[in-house]
Amino acid sequence: MTRFLIRRLLASIPVLLGIVVVTFVLARLLPGNPCVAELGEKATQAQCAQFNHREGLDKPIPVQLGKYLNKVAHADLGASFRQRRPVTTLLAERLPVTVELSIAALIIAVLIGIPLGVFAAYRHNTLADASAVVVANVGVSMPIFWLGLMLQYVFAVTLKRSPLGLPPSGRLDPGIIATPFFERWGVHANGVFRFVSRLLILNGILAWKWAIVGNALRHLVLPAVTLSTIPLAIIARMTRSSLLDTLGLDYVRTARAKGLGEFLVVIKHALRNALLPVVTIVGLQLGSLLGGAILTETIFNITGVGQTLYEAIGARDYSVVQGFTLVVAIGFVVLNLLTDIVYTVLDPRVRVT
Amino acid sequence: MRTSRRTSAIVMLSALAIAAAACGSSKSSGGNAASSTSGAAATTVAASATTAGNAATTAAPSGGATTTAAGGKLLSYDESAKCGQKGYDGSIAKIEAIDAVTVKFTMCQADVAFPSKVAFASFAISPSEYLDKAGTTAGGDLVNKPIGTGPYKLKAWDKGNQVILERNDDYWGTKAKAKTVTVRWQTEPAQRLVELQSGQADGIDNVGTDDFDKIKGDKTLQLLPRPALNVFYLGMNRDAAPFDKEEVRQAVGAAIDKQRLVDTFYPKGSTAASQFLPEAIPGYAKGFTDFTYNPDKAKQLLAAAGFPNGFEVNLSYRDKSRGYLPQPTPIATDIQAQLAKVGIKVTLDVQESTTLLDNAAAGKLPFHLLGWGADYPDATNFLDYHFGKGAKPQFGKGFDDIWKDLDQAGSNADPAKRDALYADAAKLIAQHAPMIPIANGGSAVAYKAEVKGGQASPLSSEQFAPMDNGKDQFNFLQNGEPGGLYCADETDGEALRVCEQINESLLGYEINGTKVVPSLADKYESSADLKEWTFHLHPGVKFHDGSALDANDVVRSWRVQWDAADPAHKGRTGEFSYFTSLFGGFLNPPPAK
Repeated sequence: MTRFLIRRLLASIPVLLGIVVVTFVLARLLPGNPCVAELGEKATQAQCAQFNHREGLDKPIPVQLGKYLNKVAHADLGASFRQRRPVTTLLAERLPVTVELSIAALIIAVLIGIPLGVFAAYRHNTLADASAVVVANVGVSMPIFWLGLMLQYVFAVTLKRSPLGLPPSGRLDPGIIATPFFERWGVHANGVFRFVSRLLILNGILAWKWAIVGNALRHLVLPAVTLSTIPLAIIARMTRSSLLDTLGLDYVRTARAKGLGEFLVVIKHALRNALLPVVTIVGLQLGSLLGGAILTETIFNITGVGQTLYEAIGARDYSVVQGFTLVVAIGFVVLNLLTDIVYTVLDPRVRVT
Repeated sequence: MRTSRRTSAIVMLSALAIAAAACGSSKSSGGNAASSTSGAAATTVAASATTAGNAATTAAPSGGATTTAAGGKLLSYDESAKCGQKGYDGSIAKIEAIDAVTVKFTMCQADVAFPSKVAFASFAISPSEYLDKAGTTAGGDLVNKPIGTGPYKLKAWDKGNQVILERNDDYWGTKAKAKTVTVRWQTEPAQRLVELQSGQADGIDNVGTDDFDKIKGDKTLQLLPRPALNVFYLGMNRDAAPFDKEEVRQAVGAAIDKQRLVDTFYPKGSTAASQFLPEAIPGYAKGFTDFTYNPDKAKQLLAAAGFPNGFEVNLSYRDKSRGYLPQPTPIATDIQAQLAKVGIKVTLDVQESTTLLDNAAAGKLPFHLLGWGADYPDATNFLDYHFGKGAKPQFGKGFDDIWKDLDQAGSNADPAKRDALYADAAKLIAQHAPMIPIANGGSAVAYKAEVKGGQASPLSSEQFAPMDNGKDQFNFLQNGEPGGLYCADETDGEALRVCEQINESLLGYEINGTKVVPSLADKYESSADLKEWTFHLHPGVKFHDGSALDANDVVRSWRVQWDAADPAHKGRTGEFSYFTSLFGGFLNPPPAK
């Protein structure tokens, strides 16, 4: 296992390096000038020359790339043109937002998707199965932008005065800021603690601020449901097809022949094995959610990785684009690795090599 | 930089001479501002600029230091010797604290628009001690935790989420209605409307084009159109054939159906442009229209110019949506079709945004689409920038008769005379037709119906203090997050709107208008040659940290921007773009790269 881990980590280095180089070059190939994006279109040529010199953008691209790679090797991802803050600081602020949203979406997707897939497999070739498949296909096909807007309109506007009313956007009500839990404890902290404090629900629990927890949960419902539709559909479909395959195996037939109830056969004997590929899918989905929640974050005004990347691309904020893309790529690589490890734990027959 | 003794003596004698002359002659003054439309009213003021408002001292600075009533030295910076010299492109010659409540600006040349510029948010006043303490680090506390004199102070900036302002209960003016204001942002117009409809926002900026009718039909909401301070135009370079012929340029003007473009592609509240100046800008010639749509006349003009069958030309534009050009490609395509009807065969040439701006400024585009939005609400910002003597060669060689009108208007304090000169300039611009103004792009702000005092400022500088939603907290939703809250080093409206609630300038703009009104300065007056402008501070104003506003704070706030070598000349980007844009260059500019 150790050799496997080392080999996988070493193999990921050229992948990440490739991603850094490609992102670096692509960002600079984008039409547009970060000077104008930053200083406005009335910026003079002299102002832009100053800006480009200050940011090192007047150097040849290979020189800029070399300097950037050197910085990355020293864990320095540069600073945002627009915000004048280190990219690492921005990441520490924005990544937890996306992590919280992604985990919430994935929980919904798993809690609904797996039972839906089991139900469909169990009622294979019936109307129930067909309905479940249709629901899954609709989930995959539905434009997230439209779904999010519809959910906002229904729950935030039409039902706003009812108990079902939900806030349309943001992470907390306007005017509320969550105090970091360690400040409630009277401690000054940074790093991991500050990261955790940006996970509002966990922070609220640690700070014993239940009103904040409730407020954050209410704000999380609509974006999490919106974001969960695609992974839900994928998990449901994978569960269904994997369970169908497993239910056809000899050992399941044997279990039935032994007189075991259908519930035990499906849930205890078949499902455990059928879930192995679903675990892989869940891990991959988490990776893609972490990097790809742009639409959901924009609709619901949640300043996470996706929205920050989108704004940075529009503003030609190269450091943010490069840094965030690199971190998303690292997240994807790590999650892939963890998924493989979890797979071997779940199925001892599988050996990593 | 302190003045030398000799220079100070000259300044003192000059000031006394001017004061003596002022006592016996009429001067331009504002400050009560009731009739000012062009930056300087015509009221005669008898008081001396050096004595108004303060009994402690009447002497002009000497050696840069005179003791005020508070016991502090008065600041004074005299760079008059640099005016017009190599290495200094700026228009400010001197800034001096005459006494604790009087500040005088001396310009290198007449600047009739000075009050209008001073009112701009970029020239807000900060405490001099805070500038020295917090302004020396780029992106430091001055940018993230500003201190001002405004009706609101910054409570918290939750980056990425919201800015929370709390009422300044020691405000020198009328206290704000809402105890707390939150400013949040959302880039999508549809989402902004949902927030308003849901009740999470009390007001939203930039209503989507398709949402105007929806809001008007909703009794729980109110729509306030925002007067346009921009113009979209079709530019022609007279140095490039066939636009070297005036008949050709006039033919293009007659060939464009402006109203059709506005009706088809622009949001409600937009208007067809009758001239280059938008209606909200002082100097707009009421009742004048430059071109009437007349394709037959266009064909006649082309024939007279030697193009009976028209000609072929590239039309350059950028595919970037702006307030004055909401749908670039559909509009360009429609213009192409309109010109084809008179024989002008247009090939659309889409250029990258910055490239197009650079090419236009360099005079490389014979035929192009572009626009302009006001930096400050004065005709000089529109007309002089584009058609004045120092204008870039965007339209080729300038026109002497237009220059003459603009020069005279720019050095005349009489609003009526300025208006007459600008009206004449409008006719000359229509005659020479360096460009065809097409549309003024409107926009709107929306509020909940119960909000009293909702505003739609043409300058996008809504003041939250008078807005009343009947609750302790007022929530506003704009397009984007501020980059920083130090107005001096910000250019986008999202930042300026927020920092204007916290920091104030010597003058301000009237609510929902462009007229200059008193703010931190109760009144001001200028010399007859419009080079010297003296401001008298409102007494008893305190900053949010409890310190008292005095003339030194004003001088220091301006100096920090003016002098690129000042330790506090850092800001967020260090560009201080509006300072250079409105007042030329810095002192001690960094070497050109």
